[in-house]
Amino acid sequence: MKGVGKNPVLCQTKWRKVAYGGMQPGYDDNYTDDSFLEEMVMNANVVKRDFLRVMVDSVSISQYLCIVALVVSTWTHTLNLAIDEITLLKFDIGLVLVGFLVLLLTTSPFSLKLLSRYVLNISFFTSGLYVLAPICHTLTRSISSDSIWALAVFLLLVHLFLHDYSGSTIRPPGALNNPKLTSNISLNASIVASVLVASRLPSWLHVFAIMLFSLQVFLFAPLVTFCIKKYSCRLHLLFSFALMIMTLGVTYQLHRMLFILLLALVVFISLVCPYWLIRIQEYKFEINGPWDEAKLCFDITE
Amino acid sequence: MDVISRKHRILMVSDFFFPNFGGVESHIYYLSQCLLKLGHKVVVMTHAYGKRSGVRYVTGGLKVYYVPWRPFLMQNTLPTLFMTFPVIRTILIRERISVVHGHQAFSTLCHEALMHARTMGYKVIFTDHSLYGFADVGSIHMNKVLQFTLADIDQAICVSHTSKENTVLRSGISPEKVFMVPNAVDTAMFTPSPNRLSRDEIIIVVISRLVYRKGADLLVEVIPEVCRLFPKVRFIVGGDGPKRVRLEEMREKFSLQDRVEMLGAVPHAQVRSVLISGHIFLNSSLTEAFCIAILEAASCGLLTVSTRVGGVPEVLPDDMVVLAEPDPEDMVRAVRKAIDILPGIDPQTMHLRMKRLYSWDDVAKRTEIVYDRAMQSSHTNLLDRLPKYLTCGAWAGKLFCLVMIINYLVWCLLEFLQPAKDIEEVPDIIGPLHSQLHSVDDD
Repeated sequence: MKGVGKNPVLCQTKWRKVAYGGMQPGYDDNYTDDSFLEEMVMNANVVKRDFLRVMVDSVSISQYLCIVALVVSTWTHTLNLAIDEITLLKFDIGLVLVGFLVLLLTTSPFSLKLLSRYVLNISFFTSGLYVLAPICHTLTRSISSDSIWALAVFLLLVHLFLHDYSGSTIRPPGALNNPKLTSNISLNASIVASVLVASRLPSWLHVFAIMLFSLQVFLFAPLVTFCIKKYSCRLHLLFSFALMIMTLGVTYQLHRMLFILLLALVVFISLVCPYWLIRIQEYKFEINGPWDEAKLCFDITE
Repeated sequence: MDVISRKHRILMVSDFFFPNFGGVESHIYYLSQCLLKLGHKVVVMTHAYGKRSGVRYVTGGLKVYYVPWRPFLMQNTLPTLFMTFPVIRTILIRERISVVHGHQAFSTLCHEALMHARTMGYKVIFTDHSLYGFADVGSIHMNKVLQFTLADIDQAICVSHTSKENTVLRSGISPEKVFMVPNAVDTAMFTPSPNRLSRDEIIIVVISRLVYRKGADLLVEVIPEVCRLFPKVRFIVGGDGPKRVRLEEMREKFSLQDRVEMLGAVPHAQVRSVLISGHIFLNSSLTEAFCIAILEAASCGLLTVSTRVGGVPEVLPDDMVVLAEPDPEDMVRAVRKAIDILPGIDPQTMHLRMKRLYSWDDVAKRTEIVYDRAMQSSHTNLLDRLPKYLTCGAWAGKLFCLVMIINYLVWCLLEFLQPAKDIEEVPDIIGPLHSQLHSVDDD
């Protein structure tokens, strides 16, 4: 092979990124071209987060936490018989009316059909509860109180962990996503917790009132807050702050320990978590390239 | 300057081998046959398949150890870390192996065998046959295991350049250690039809497993559209899988019973006869490191239409394949272009070109070069090898070092219980076929 030594540049053909044709002349199989990893794209879909934005987004979480704390305080007051059943029933009716008002004001196309559908659902729901309240009253008579409290706390924790904070399990008009499995599990956990706590009360009217209250809050509060958030961000922030202050006041009167726990949690969620998230975003390393599995651009309808 | 290359004694290890049919299985089989023809000794180790357990000999005197372990998940044996050591050690000593070659990152048997072979000081080579992602939980674990195996490997082989980039990124191995040796196709088996097919009707053949990964959903969108736009086109769909139901539903919905023929699972021996009944081969996979199905189709003289994913653009020259994005409209456009250039395609010419572009003998020679390079690396003891594992991660590195130290201790225990000199070595039996080939090669 005499010609090789003289003009190595001319004799060597250009390396091509192909697999056919056997070994490319002049190149070993482990030759790494300059175009190696040329098509790799790093961090293509990573969104740069802003601290204030993340803090505002975290308000939904602390808002829901306060709502759950209010429900727990109401339960405690009712179990101590500090609130009687008539007051509770009036409170429930008041809540329903306020909820309807908010929904009417915030949903932009006002439709009578939607309103009548909601009224029909609420009346079915209430009459169903009325019928089932005597059963619920005697449900856990043979179970000791400690087990009930432990189970209720555990279920509430499961509810808080798996809750869908960005949307609502009950689809409001105009929502795009279907509820996920975890949001259904969290809803069921909260309902079971309310049933357990309600079954400890003395009379079935008490049971009816507290069940109506708990289920109203757990089923419809996410819907109402979602509509408020969609309507106006400022109204959402104002509502959340007012709610937080009210909750802190109520828990302060109830129990010091609960107040301190709630305050610590709200501070952790609103301040510490956003900072932590932004700190660890720097380590994000997303790799994309021609080796990725192709994503279908259409939905598979079974 | 005649360098007489040494003859190697190779152990191929994988969970995937005959009687299963697939890319990895046929790669190991054909590569082993061609290495036997070159004069090396090849032994294959895999797990038992049903009643097929023990030592078997397949064509050409290739010895296969079907070790009696049951597969537990997707054809893989149960990962036990150290329990596989005694059998692997016995095989390595009995057959006087010099190089251990593992296949497929998904195979637990491969990783364990490479780990044990490394502890005993043998040279190890790994071939990666698939592409993997980085983001989901399964991929993250798989990549960690791969990082462990490739931290102390002699050489690695990938089947395409895209696969090489993917493997280097997943495992952190240096690119100079990775060789690109592609798959090939048995052109003697996949020959085109002796009679030219009539062009009145254009027949498009699809043969693949009907799963999400192979783009069965794309087929459901593309087939009705193509049938609507081109009245002369018929489809033949071979293969089975969970998505077959969707294809049958599509057939009912658009009344394509006479235009789309569903064959069900096609046995490997009949693939050629199905292929030669068509003009165009359609491949709609969403990810492929290297697509052997396309090579088989091209060897039978079919024009290929494929999605542009993974290593597919590197596999065939531009005039033998029409590429499309994995999107129904683009695929229909590609089918239209294929139908337009079909008159200019001659199956016999395509087949002869494929014979020159791909051959398993060429793959075997290039693999032999990798083995020679692996044998040149020096022998290292345990203490020199442990720092290589520490680079795998803050916690993982130390865990891997611990695993290798325990592996070394298990080896010492096995040496004590059953010394190597007590293990009887298998004599080399050169069959009449090989001695004849030796005499042919010598001139």
